[in-house]
Amino acid sequence: MEYTRKWSEKFSVEQVKIELLNTAYGNGHTFLARLDPITLFIWYIFFGIVPWFIHQETILLGMFVFVVITTFIAKVSPLIILILCLGLLSQGGYLLVASLFFGGNLATILPLLVLTLKLSVISLASISVFCSMDPDKLSNGLLKIGFPGQVSFSIAYGYRMLPSLLEEYHHIFLSFRLRGKAPEKKGFLYWRAIVYFCKVAVLSFYPLLLSTSKRARTTVEALETKGSFYGFNHPEVKKLKLANMKMQKHDYLFLGFTAFYLVCLFIFL
Amino acid sequence: MSAQVSIENVSFQYPGGVAPVLKNVSLTIEQGDFMAIVGGNGSGKSTLCKLLNGLIPHYYVGDFAGRVIVNGKDTTAYKVADLSKQIGYVYQDFDNQIVAPRVLDDASFAPLNYGDPDYKRKGKEALEMVGLLGYDEEFIWQLSGGQKHLLALAGALAMNPDILIIDEPIAQLDPAHAESLYDILKELNETYGKTIIVIEHHTEFIANYCQKMVLMEAGEILWKKETKEALQLVEELMGRQIYPPQVTQAAYLLDRNKQEHLPVTLEEARQQLKHRLTTGSAVQQAAEIQLRREVLVRIKNVRFSYQTIKRNRKHVLKQLNLDVYKGDVIALVGNNGAGKSSLMRLMTGLVKPDIGDVIVQGKNTRACTPEQLANEITYIYQNPEEMFIDDSVRKDIAFFLKSRNIPDYEKKIEAVLEQFELQDLQNRDGRLMSGGQQRRASLAIGIAMDPSIILLDEPTANLDIATRKHITRLIASMKDKVGAIIIATHDMQLAAELTNRMIVLHDGEVIHDGDRSTVFTHPGLLHRAGLTPPQILQLSQSLNMEVPAYTVAEFIQAWQGKERHHGVHA
Repeated sequence: MEYTRKWSEKFSVEQVKIELLNTAYGNGHTFLARLDPITLFIWYIFFGIVPWFIHQETILLGMFVFVVITTFIAKVSPLIILILCLGLLSQGGYLLVASLFFGGNLATILPLLVLTLKLSVISLASISVFCSMDPDKLSNGLLKIGFPGQVSFSIAYGYRMLPSLLEEYHHIFLSFRLRGKAPEKKGFLYWRAIVYFCKVAVLSFYPLLLSTSKRARTTVEALETKGSFYGFNHPEVKKLKLANMKMQKHDYLFLGFTAFYLVCLFIFL
Repeated sequence: MSAQVSIENVSFQYPGGVAPVLKNVSLTIEQGDFMAIVGGNGSGKSTLCKLLNGLIPHYYVGDFAGRVIVNGKDTTAYKVADLSKQIGYVYQDFDNQIVAPRVLDDASFAPLNYGDPDYKRKGKEALEMVGLLGYDEEFIWQLSGGQKHLLALAGALAMNPDILIIDEPIAQLDPAHAESLYDILKELNETYGKTIIVIEHHTEFIANYCQKMVLMEAGEILWKKETKEALQLVEELMGRQIYPPQVTQAAYLLDRNKQEHLPVTLEEARQQLKHRLTTGSAVQQAAEIQLRREVLVRIKNVRFSYQTIKRNRKHVLKQLNLDVYKGDVIALVGNNGAGKSSLMRLMTGLVKPDIGDVIVQGKNTRACTPEQLANEITYIYQNPEEMFIDDSVRKDIAFFLKSRNIPDYEKKIEAVLEQFELQDLQNRDGRLMSGGQQRRASLAIGIAMDPSIILLDEPTANLDIATRKHITRLIASMKDKVGAIIIATHDMQLAAELTNRMIVLHDGEVIHDGDRSTVFTHPGLLHRAGLTPPQILQLSQSLNMEVPAYTVAEFIQAWQGKERHHGVHA
């Protein structure tokens, strides 16, 4: 009983909200989080693309070890890791079963494992990078590499709204529960209960959309009075916003170390 | 004093609107004024304020006629961005005007956008003015409602505007926080010389803080007067559904011929009335006999906490014990964050206690789903919008009945619609109605569920006084239809008029369980829980009347009883 309660608590809307916010903002003190967004972009471009072109398992394994370490340094939320593992396992498992059923053998499985390895490297690299950049940093980074002010603002604002939206969604969801009627029989494997909850979860979106669009009016007016449209059209404002962003010693050290590690991989393996 | 703002013969109609919202209004505002705009919902107060920063006519391009001059600038000739540097605006739904995730970033958002290299300092200064210094790096979702309001105020102050407009500053605050907010506004007005314009329903605050008062009705400005003078017009104000401070109402009723100047603040009333008061009274209050009745809800040793974003647990309720009896009308009072909403949510079964039990009509909430408990208990949200899950009021009321296949439910709906005066609104979408209508609809949804216990979370917040009185009457009409009503509220008038039991929560504990007479006569308790008794009660206490009066009517009755007793029939 206590155990199931703990689990149900882990997956409550409240918990999802906390995890999301922690993933977005909670890791500001890690080493990776102190790096400049440009450094992280460069690093990510490498780890996001290069693995596709490498076929040597040992090098991939070496890269994998590296991104596992960065993921660890980035203090990624356990929930995210769990979701990632589930995704990789289910995908790998599905391919394994499929290949065995359709006459494959170990020789077919191996390339599939390599693919899974590549995907893991890329996913872990993405997680380390995006968990290390809070939305403000990400939006400033995008602004710096030439995205328009509206795009970068939308990202930062989207995250600011996320908790409120989730909370409101939660309230509406509970409204349904407080007035609705759950099926009396749970059904085989709880299927009736599951269908009921899925239905409520979907229905709750409609009121949310309506009330959010209503509230957006104040926000847009406030943005107008706070001069954000003035800011988008004046380059000196952009300069001011980005004044604090600079590549520093630890940025070069990090990129240098990554390069050194990769060179070692290629030479010694 | 020079005119800082002059509005000359302005008419305005929103694009797509059917009637003009402002009809040929003219108004001047002097520098350094502290002005209140009053008027019923929909009288054009907010629209008037949006003239000043140019949102009308630049952002809302409707039919605009007339001229608005702010600090010598004709608003039609300048952009919203230019005008906004001189005018700060705090919305009623201030939550939606906070745009950055961190406190300091939000406070310095405007100066940054205008390219001010000193934007951080300006943001900090603004935070200091409102008393939010030290929260720079906090996330906005970690702030309480009151702090968010202060942050919205800081965001508006960051550009160092000359004029500050605040739409219903205290609608969601407990009495103690409301007073401290007005003290901040007063300081901004007196020390920093800002012109302050508030849209306000609480005339007691207007009397204490504002110098001028503007009355609006149906898109017109009826007059602008000095506050003291304006509040003398009791008949006119009451006729327009604006209620002067309780002490003013009482003094007026005592002396309809109005020889004297009516008092508008508690202190004035005390000074004026104490000379006329003689001691000794024959009025006795009938002591209500408390019978122990059937228990509807039993809360036993309940502790409740929830996880915060920082992954630690916040303890909201500590070792709480409470019984709710049949016939109880309970006011659950205490400052923001005392645990009132948590306690209510525990009773609905939406959340379960960490330890202890909540028993509703003999059912332990641990073993029940909220859907099952919904047959016994109804929870009406503080924000009625979150209760509208269908696209018309009628369907929303029907939702519960239909899902349970209650026979003859159509008849029931008709009855409820009539009770809450919603027949004309039944096919409207709840979200698009006014605040008072929404509240009525939410009560109707609750009562249609035929519960034995009804929980109301701040049922009168964000309403003008006339609507508040209406809602109070409606709640009173629910008394004999349900077993018990529990109202979490900051509205002490509501608590004093309607309830027969008052429970004071503080820091997750019940620090008092009594009724209005035991709560309001206990200064230490009031102070600790951040409560302010109704003004009329304070007056009767400061006049040392033996029988405390909780409503204006009681006050008049007690007073006249006294005078009759001494043969000085008024």
